[in-house]
Amino acid sequence: MEEYAREPCPWRIVDDCGGAFTMGAIGGGIFQAIKGFRNSPVGVNHRLRGSLTAIKTRAPQLGGSFAVWGGLFSMIDCSMVRMRGKEDPWNSITSGALTGAILAARNGPVAMVGSAAMGGILLALIEGAGILLTRFASTQFPNGKEPAEDVS
Amino acid sequence: LPASLGRGCLGRWLLATRAWALLGTGAGSCSCLRWRHQPPLLLRAARQSIGTQAGGLKAAKPGGDSKDVSVQRALNEETLVSAAQKVKEAGRDFTYFIVVLVGIGVTGGLFYVIFKELFSSSSPNKIYGDALEKCRSHPEIIGVFGDSIKGYGEATRRGRRQHVSHIEYIKDGLKHMRLKFYIEGTESGKQGTVHVEVKENLETGRFKVRYIFVDVETYPRRTIVIEDNR
Repeated sequence: MEEYAREPCPWRIVDDCGGAFTMGAIGGGIFQAIKGFRNSPVGVNHRLRGSLTAIKTRAPQLGGSFAVWGGLFSMIDCSMVRMRGKEDPWNSITSGALTGAILAARNGPVAMVGSAAMGGILLALIEGAGILLTRFASTQFPNGKEPAEDVS
Repeated sequence: LPASLGRGCLGRWLLATRAWALLGTGAGSCSCLRWRHQPPLLLRAARQSIGTQAGGLKAAKPGGDSKDVSVQRALNEETLVSAAQKVKEAGRDFTYFIVVLVGIGVTGGLFYVIFKELFSSSSPNKIYGDALEKCRSHPEIIGVFGDSIKGYGEATRRGRRQHVSHIEYIKDGLKHMRLKFYIEGTESGKQGTVHVEVKENLETGRFKVRYIFVDVETYPRRTIVIEDNR
């Protein structure tokens, strides 16, 4: 239990924000490279320059929006953990819903509710996948039963 | 008729270029072979069906608009949207249908897992929550750990500690489950391990607690028993 010298939670926010930015930037870079390549005039030089321009303009935008999502989600998650004192899948689902709601706040309350539902459902799916994976991985090593009855 | 003948001759040349261009996609290959052996009257149908088919392919729409247009034109002339193309359309639709089904199945499975985890009373998470509540309201625990008690499970790679380690086994025909999680209080550095065992109660179908005890990581080790129904 002493693997982490400090509480993971405050530092996890920065970690998640950076990770999300990297994901968005790399994914957006690949996508925009292909798109810029295809939407350029004929000729390899034109196409390469077109894809480079597309990457330079669009990929940081996508990375930025991913980073905002990730950072906000992690912040709300850590705050809920601190408030409730318990680490649950419920924290993640509520954090996802709140993140979706906050990021759609400019578009009015109805859009906030819709975005919150989408964020919550997305995170519920991710949590379900995570739980499935951990259960699957832990049942790979069957243990039988341990009758280690401690006397009180 | 002569107009169509004239257009047919021109159309044949146009078809040559376009059909060769479409050869790579494969859709034009059968139509390329077809138009060689046809009377020019039917060339118009072929050309229009190929044209719309090409437009449909380039727009990457799976037969939505192009199918409508080619069906309309084919109704006007001979039905020349051949069986090969119909089979291809059907095959594509079928593949998409299978993909949609697989997606719905996976999503439904994930939802089922998360609902069972969060809402069913026999899930490890629920038992962990109940045991934590009992720990929080126990005076001895409060005395050792302080007022606000945090509970968490096993640490994964990223530092999230949501997974509570548990083992399920069957003994005497009843399901038992053992859990282990950690608690930490505001008193500096005091950590404890909580061991919980529950047994399935056959009448109600829910789990009944067999024992809950806490190992406090002090020296000498202290064990606080919260509940013992063995």
